[in-house]
Amino acid sequence: MPASFDISAALHLQVQSLRSPRATLAQALDIALPAGAVHTIMGPSGSGKSSLLAAVCGTLAPALQFQGTVHVLGRRVDGLPTRARRIALLYQDDLLFAHMTVRENLLFALAAGPQAAREAQVAQALEEVELAGFAHADPATLSGGQRARAALARALLAQPQALMLDEPFAKLDVALRQRMRALVFDAVARRGIAAIVVTHDPADIADPARVTHLSAP
Amino acid sequence: MFEHVGVVARVKSVSITEHGDYGNRRVSQQQVLVGQSLFSHRPVFVDIFLPITSLTTACALLLQHPQFAQALSLSLWSGMAATLLALGVSAFILSTGLGLRTDHSHSRLLPAMLALPHVAFALGCMLLLAPSGWLVRLLFAALHPWAEAIPFALDAPPPWQSTQDPYALGLVLVLVCKEIPFLLWGAWAQLQRPDLAQAWQAQMRVATTLGYSAQSAWWCVVWPQLLPRMAGPLLAVWAYSLSVVDVAWIIGPGAPPTLAVLAWQWLQDADPAIGAQGLAAVLCLLLCTVLVAGLAFILYRMDLRWWAPARWTRGSRSITESVLTMGRLRQLSARFKWREKVALALSADRAGPCRIHTGIHHDASGLVAALLVAYALVAAALVWGSVAGAWPFPALWPQSWTLQAWQQVLGSSGVLGTTLWLGLASAGAAFLVALAILEGLPARWHAAWFSAAYLVLALPALLWALGLQRVCIALGWDASAWGLWLAHSLSVWPYVLLSLQGPYAALDPRGAQLAASLGRSRWAYGWQVQWPMLRAPLAAAFAVGFAVSVAQFLPTLFVGGGRFATVTTEAVALSSGGQRSLLAAYALLQWLLPACVFALALGLGRKRRFAPPRMAPGLA
Repeated sequence: MPASFDISAALHLQVQSLRSPRATLAQALDIALPAGAVHTIMGPSGSGKSSLLAAVCGTLAPALQFQGTVHVLGRRVDGLPTRARRIALLYQDDLLFAHMTVRENLLFALAAGPQAAREAQVAQALEEVELAGFAHADPATLSGGQRARAALARALLAQPQALMLDEPFAKLDVALRQRMRALVFDAVARRGIAAIVVTHDPADIADPARVTHLSAP
Repeated sequence: MFEHVGVVARVKSVSITEHGDYGNRRVSQQQVLVGQSLFSHRPVFVDIFLPITSLTTACALLLQHPQFAQALSLSLWSGMAATLLALGVSAFILSTGLGLRTDHSHSRLLPAMLALPHVAFALGCMLLLAPSGWLVRLLFAALHPWAEAIPFALDAPPPWQSTQDPYALGLVLVLVCKEIPFLLWGAWAQLQRPDLAQAWQAQMRVATTLGYSAQSAWWCVVWPQLLPRMAGPLLAVWAYSLSVVDVAWIIGPGAPPTLAVLAWQWLQDADPAIGAQGLAAVLCLLLCTVLVAGLAFILYRMDLRWWAPARWTRGSRSITESVLTMGRLRQLSARFKWREKVALALSADRAGPCRIHTGIHHDASGLVAALLVAYALVAAALVWGSVAGAWPFPALWPQSWTLQAWQQVLGSSGVLGTTLWLGLASAGAAFLVALAILEGLPARWHAAWFSAAYLVLALPALLWALGLQRVCIALGWDASAWGLWLAHSLSVWPYVLLSLQGPYAALDPRGAQLAASLGRSRWAYGWQVQWPMLRAPLAAAFAVGFAVSVAQFLPTLFVGGGRFATVTTEAVALSSGGQRSLLAAYALLQWLLPACVFALALGLGRKRRFAPPRMAPGLA
């Protein structure tokens, strides 16, 4: 177990090892991120990139073994259940709940409270991602870019202290990907949350100094 | 007791009509009462844990019984024929494009077909096909202009056995018609899984780019992957077809009947030795179920080893050619030189465009239509029969109409009440148990529970009923409402669990992870996301449970000890009497009750309608 962690880091991930039943996927990693920074993890398929994110979020498959620590704003969270970690997740599939409107999807991410305040928060979040007119829309009727933005708004409404992005732009076309990337990185910087992006696309690298390459097991 | 009917109904192997003998022996009211009493008195308790010596003696008695060999042959023949035909027809329907269609509107008809209990279907077929049934009347009316050229009189029911035939053809027909929707339901549970559907559609596209027609691609790519996943439903169909009692009693052969009916009759005997013989017959059915299923599994695996490597190198050859060139068939075809001819005749799918979504190449719509017409005819026969008054042969329409049967049915509030509370309570209990398994247990344990559910379905119905009776006696719940509820709940839960298998497997596990990452509890995710998304399958599962409970016959009789009557026990009891309209009314009610619950489930599971966006789209 690592002896110390970077108290100034918004997110500090220390990995001793991440093992599948057949191989060691990652080991001896130390990623410390200040608030608003974006770290990129790259590597070939099967190298354990997504599993690393799952370990940070606490959604690792039982067959995989993670040894290490995760600190968020100085608080150790790797022993906590996912919902208590305050780390939001964005997948390449938006995973908007199909039976809910866009507004209801966003409301789902908000803590209980006065309804008027919650509605106002949702309206503001939709405004931020340029979806103001789509509050009552069926998610299935939105375009890929609109769905991605709705998913981002939902993730940010939960007021996470860190954001994990698992190939979030992979399904978007080049132009849309660029706009979405800018939107995400801007939101991360403005809110001062640490983010880790798993990607195959070098264009997704926000800061060339913050890149980890995982190798095939 | 007898109303004026023209329908031939049976007491064991004896047929009755109002108008003359018509080659069948006329029976007395007393005989009908004897037949009915088989289904109304308390069954004799036969302990399934017989001492081994008694069981050995019972087995020896069974083997020496003059009807045993023929009854067993009939059971094996009808069970195998029904299973293979139902599988073949279902596979053909699926292969013609219905399986992987993106819109599943056609599958909406399945619940209505599944809601029709086997007993009601058999009774409807009896009203249609019996020598004095509606179809024969229609046929005779059509033949009337040529009456003189026909060797038998057209003003009396024909002297043939179109139901309770000695070859069990009527039984096979009923079982095939009833099991096709069940197998389609089992297949669609797999085909509707987004992960499988996407992968199989993509694989079919690849196969079509390699020169396979849509149907060949389906047989070569999807079917080999789908068939192993249907092992459970197939085993259930085989076990049910082999050991069914109520349907075989109504429409199966009579002299001798199938082994299951024979075993059922022996189990009613007050003589313990005969009862033990009945138990031996039940165990024999279990042995047959296991042996044939095991043999089929071994053959399947062997065939796969032979066939699989060749299957992927067939290029644009049709499945017909592939089948004809495999293994032993290859030698046979070479010897008899019929391979090329048959292949040419049957491989029409070599040419033509590959249309994955709409590519019905070998059209199964006729087959589907025939199945729907059969169900519609059965429903019409039941409706007709329930309100028909005097209806002498060969009149096409009844002379009078009456609601007397319905008044009698609705007046028997006890029967209706028992059916309703039992159905709702057992479906509710089974529903909660299934939810507890799927929600409360780790996903890796689910497979074991699904296997256990199929194991229950694979047990011969009589053995299951005897086991339930044993459990209830041990609990002191025999012949009590609690015992009946327990017996129905235990009989219902496999169906409810299995009907939720597909929808739960189709759920994206990342949804729960995402909800957790948003700080929401498992309960909040279940309540706000998962269950609303699964509203339709959850409601349908409850309806399936209710329908299965309504259709229960043997557990009601064995555990209820004759103290509780449901619409099913009444319908089966009446099948051996001559009260056609009352029989039809009970059979129809047996369908209507589950159909109402299915309709409610459809309403509850209706997809939400969203309002259109109020502003023009912004960023694309």
